[in-house]
Amino acid sequence: MTSQQKITDSPIDFAEDIIEDVKNSKDDGVLKCVQCGMCTSTCPAARHSDYNPRDIIERVLDGDVTIMEDENIWNCFYCYTCHSVCPVGNSVCEVNQILKQFAITNGIGYDKLYEYMGFADSYFTAAIGAIPEIFFEDIDRDVPGWWDFRQNLDEIRDELELDPPLMPSKEVINEVSKILTITGFKDKIDKIRESQEE
Amino acid sequence: MKNIPDKDLLLFRSCLVSVEYPGVEASTKFVFDKLGIDYAISDKQTCCTGLGHYSDVFNQIDTTAIGARNFKVARELNRPNLVMMCATCYAINKKSVKLLNKKDDLREHINKLFDENGLSHLKYEKDDLKPTENIFHVVDILYGKKDKIKENIKYDLSDYTIATHHGCHYCKVHYEDTIGGVRDPNIMDELIEECGCKTIGWYDHKRATCGTGFRQRYSNPDLSFTATADKMNAIADEDVDILVHLCPNCHIQFDRYQHLISEREGRNFRAIHLNITQFMALAMGGDFDKVIGAKAHTVPIDSVIKELKEVEK
Repeated sequence: MTSQQKITDSPIDFAEDIIEDVKNSKDDGVLKCVQCGMCTSTCPAARHSDYNPRDIIERVLDGDVTIMEDENIWNCFYCYTCHSVCPVGNSVCEVNQILKQFAITNGIGYDKLYEYMGFADSYFTAAIGAIPEIFFEDIDRDVPGWWDFRQNLDEIRDELELDPPLMPSKEVINEVSKILTITGFKDKIDKIRESQEE
Repeated sequence: MKNIPDKDLLLFRSCLVSVEYPGVEASTKFVFDKLGIDYAISDKQTCCTGLGHYSDVFNQIDTTAIGARNFKVARELNRPNLVMMCATCYAINKKSVKLLNKKDDLREHINKLFDENGLSHLKYEKDDLKPTENIFHVVDILYGKKDKIKENIKYDLSDYTIATHHGCHYCKVHYEDTIGGVRDPNIMDELIEECGCKTIGWYDHKRATCGTGFRQRYSNPDLSFTATADKMNAIADEDVDILVHLCPNCHIQFDRYQHLISEREGRNFRAIHLNITQFMALAMGGDFDKVIGAKAHTVPIDSVIKELKEVEK
């Protein structure tokens, strides 16, 4: 060991912040990690990239906040396989999501959200979840006939006798926009946009 | 086993089902009607935020506040049982109910925001809904009516080689509520058996992710498609005709990108992809265009199902 841990050091503070996060559903599960590696051995991102869930928890328990800047954390599939197999009831998948929210709050992960601003726009202005238009070109290149299908969607839905229509009412949209303003969502999105334009 | 309701259901609309595979909604309604399930759809309910949430754009407070509004929509209709066609909506809504009931600080924070901004009618009281008793996936509801399936089957699909892909966000997120196994998921295999067919059961990578990984498919497509190829190869090894799904995210990944992954792997993948409700609706006599929504599929359904043979009574 090259560094010594002093009794006044509190590496556990970082783990405590995660435990207290609103998203955490595993109480103090992160503190119970025994580094068995079950998460890594079943993880699709670990199988095909340098992502390593066991290592993430080790670094969290070491109080290593630079994990928030590690590109690899963005490779998680959110498949919750680690969450479902952990023998001590920890969830690296949730810890990963919390780390990313910490990164975003600290302005570190903004660039990772630029491509996904379309989700924010469609929900805020139309109360719908829609795949951002920025990806349409890629989808049309990769999926034969997709754009034509989308153009004929109304016809297909009519044939299936589906209602109500896809677009929510003005009243619903206003209520949803208001909710996303008071939770701080709109301010956050505005800030991310500003950083994108800089 | 937990009590599964067959009435007072709010069928929760899914953004992906609506615009990618609308036949999943039509098939769900068709099968629910056949099985005598009491449900309604509301034009006031909005998307669960799932795609934005798992792309890290929506945080937990944003998503849970939107959830609280949708839960109020359900309660006002006296339909407190939410049933989801999408595994992500299922996981998102169940988590929000759990958090609102368990975390007093979060509930009080959201209620205070509602109170201070003229939205008091949306307030959520502790235990307004229960995660296990009120939040379901369509497969749960079908499982509750398992004994009624057989009598409604019109066509015999037993000659096809059938496998199941159980979505991660149904099986693995809230595993304490998952019916039919988590490590060896079987709820859809059991439902398919009620349609008079036998699935191949376990296969390599059966419990693995579809590979979508939310942001991975768009920002990291190599990683995404490599993970999907693991499963597609396993399906091809078993010479599967029909892969049955329960989540539109997985459905997109397999149906829309099968052609591309085939090219990447240098191997012909030929399975068609049906949601469990489409599979069941087909077996119950649903029309390809008016119920199944075959035109929305990229891998043509009739490339495998060329003719239907009636079951022998």
